[in-house]
Amino acid sequence: MALVELRGVSKSFRKGDETITPLDDIDLDIDAGDFVSLMGPSGTGKSTLLNLVSGIDRPDSGTITVDGTEVTKLSRSKLADWRAANLGYIFQTHNLIPVLTAYENVELPTLLLNLSSTQRRQRVELALEAVGLSDRADHYPRQLSGGQEQRVGIARAIVAHPKVVVADEPTGSLDTETSEQVQVLLQRLNKELDITLLMVTHDRDAASIASRQLMLDRGKFLERGGDKESGSLGEWEVGVGNAGDSVAIKKFG
Amino acid sequence: MFTYVLKTLWRHRTRTLLTVTGAAVAMFVFCFVGSVQEGLQRLTTGSDADRSLIVFQENRFCPTTSRLPEDYSRKIKEIPGVRDVMPIQVWTNNCRASLDIVVFNGADPQQIKSTRPLTLTAGDWHAFSTQRDAAIVGRNVAQRRGLKTGDQFSIGDISVKVAGVFQSTVPSEENLIYTSLAFLQYTRGLDAAGLVTQHEVLLTDDADPDRVASEIDAKLRAGSVATKTRRKGAFQASTLSDLVDLIGFAHWLGYACVGLVLSLVATTTVMSVQDRIKEYAVLQTIGVRPLRAMRLVLTESTILCLVGGIAGTALAMAALAIGGFAIGAEGATIAFRPSIGLALTGALVSLAVGIAAGLAPAIQAGTVPIVNALRQA
Ligand SMILES: Nc1ncnc2c1ncn2[C@@H]1O[C@H](COP(=O)(O)OP(=O)(O)OP(=O)(O)O)[C@@H](O)[C@H]1O
Ligand SMILES: [Mg+2]
Repeated sequence: MALVELRGVSKSFRKGDETITPLDDIDLDIDAGDFVSLMGPSGTGKSTLLNLVSGIDRPDSGTITVDGTEVTKLSRSKLADWRAANLGYIFQTHNLIPVLTAYENVELPTLLLNLSSTQRRQRVELALEAVGLSDRADHYPRQLSGGQEQRVGIARAIVAHPKVVVADEPTGSLDTETSEQVQVLLQRLNKELDITLLMVTHDRDAASIASRQLMLDRGKFLERGGDKESGSLGEWEVGVGNAGDSVAIKKFG
Repeated sequence: MFTYVLKTLWRHRTRTLLTVTGAAVAMFVFCFVGSVQEGLQRLTTGSDADRSLIVFQENRFCPTTSRLPEDYSRKIKEIPGVRDVMPIQVWTNNCRASLDIVVFNGADPQQIKSTRPLTLTAGDWHAFSTQRDAAIVGRNVAQRRGLKTGDQFSIGDISVKVAGVFQSTVPSEENLIYTSLAFLQYTRGLDAAGLVTQHEVLLTDDADPDRVASEIDAKLRAGSVATKTRRKGAFQASTLSDLVDLIGFAHWLGYACVGLVLSLVATTTVMSVQDRIKEYAVLQTIGVRPLRAMRLVLTESTILCLVGGIAGTALAMAALAIGGFAIGAEGATIAFRPSIGLALTGALVSLAVGIAAGLAPAIQAGTVPIVNALRQA
């Protein structure tokens, strides 16, 4: 059984008389240890998908199961508990709490778990070390660069040892160089700490570091097949979403 | 998480300070109003007010106009149920309502010592009972006028030597200055030899105050001056009736203060939460439960309210303790004293208002639509 399973998930939004249905009867499986990147045109519902997986939004129909827990069935309060223990969320604009130091920001999720103060300190120090910011622990967000802020955001997402980490355009507001650092960091987290990652990105380079590359277009998933290792632009196949609907095999690049 | 609340308050320190100051001022007024209410309450209840009677000239109100023969006390003493009678000459600098009223009560020093609930905090009884112009001064008056033992104190035609300062279990007593009866009777302008303003009647334990009062009036009707006898509490309440209405009205001012704190703290908290609604969405994304988010907001509003409210209450208690404030009219006075009950009320009201003020913003923070709030730039 996959770590993350989406079955028949639909989500639509109403704007006045108009109804937009970015996700329509979607299926998706993500295995433990996968690093999945998700690309696709703007407005196709990538962020919506992340929000559904993390339980901060609810689908209109369908089920989402993470590690055996059907998150679509949980109450708002239970969902919060579930997120605290199982999910890390990396925002595009890091969303650090401005009044708290880097250390305190990273510490926040650990305060929600049953940990001793020693365990908490260890976790926070390890997480800061993992993102290379041990020496910035006492700095406030406004005293950090954009890349450093994003790394604090990443440390905050992994500090509770979640099963899944979702990231919505984590490099979207960073320059190329910083963006590369963050990509390397995410890849290491996936490889060395065995964190399952689902990352939305518009950046093809960022997407290419993932072990699985998905594309969401007009409500369908396409998966990049071919030889990942060679780095050549392989083909995108209808694979994971909407089985049976074999619209097109798209060329990409 | 508590750090988060404190740091948030600190980050907007100007706003926090203004709110805390506002709450402090309002709670200061609240406690002041409360102490006036308590003073009035004390004046009209309690054993001193219920178990003693005041015999006054009929249809007279200001002490200067009530003139009863001193030897009425002998006649009154014959009535069953009367334990003791103390003829008192009253002199006041102001018959109308005033915040700086000075009231002299002239009576026999031995009787004062044995019947009034007084303890000297300075000076001695001997000096008071042996010197003609000696006076003992209530703590409140002493504080207000800066008097101490040995001082000479003059007002109007009266000039006395302070022989002691007393405190009393009956706070309104602390607004009085006691002299000997003869001294006041022979004061220039009073011309009251053989006359007194009123008789204070102490009852035996089993006597019915109202029965004794009507017997006194009936018996003295045959005398040269008709009298009106009432319980001391009722007498004081009717003497102060204009003020009583005013003070009764003032409790609305107390409620208004509570309303003020409520709206002030609520406004600040609502603003604070609306400013940071995205932060609450982030916190809940991280895994903070909605109820916990609500608690954070409630903590914030309660801190604002408690810090301000307790500061205001403490200041009010200090001012009341030091200032010796009193309001009086026609020789009767109401003392404003600090009290533990009042301090507790101030603290509890602050706590309750703090929680109430945080409710609406707390619900807002707890039920924030996470995704929409996160999408805000
Ligand atoms: N809360 C909402 N209310 C109304 N419409 C919404 C809401 N959230 C998303 N939508 C709409 O749903 C569609 C998908 O939005 P979503 O943010 O998931 O797109 P996206 O793939 O993440 O786009 P981008 O790459 O630009 O971030 C869009 O058309 C958007 O306008
Ligand atoms: Mg998006």
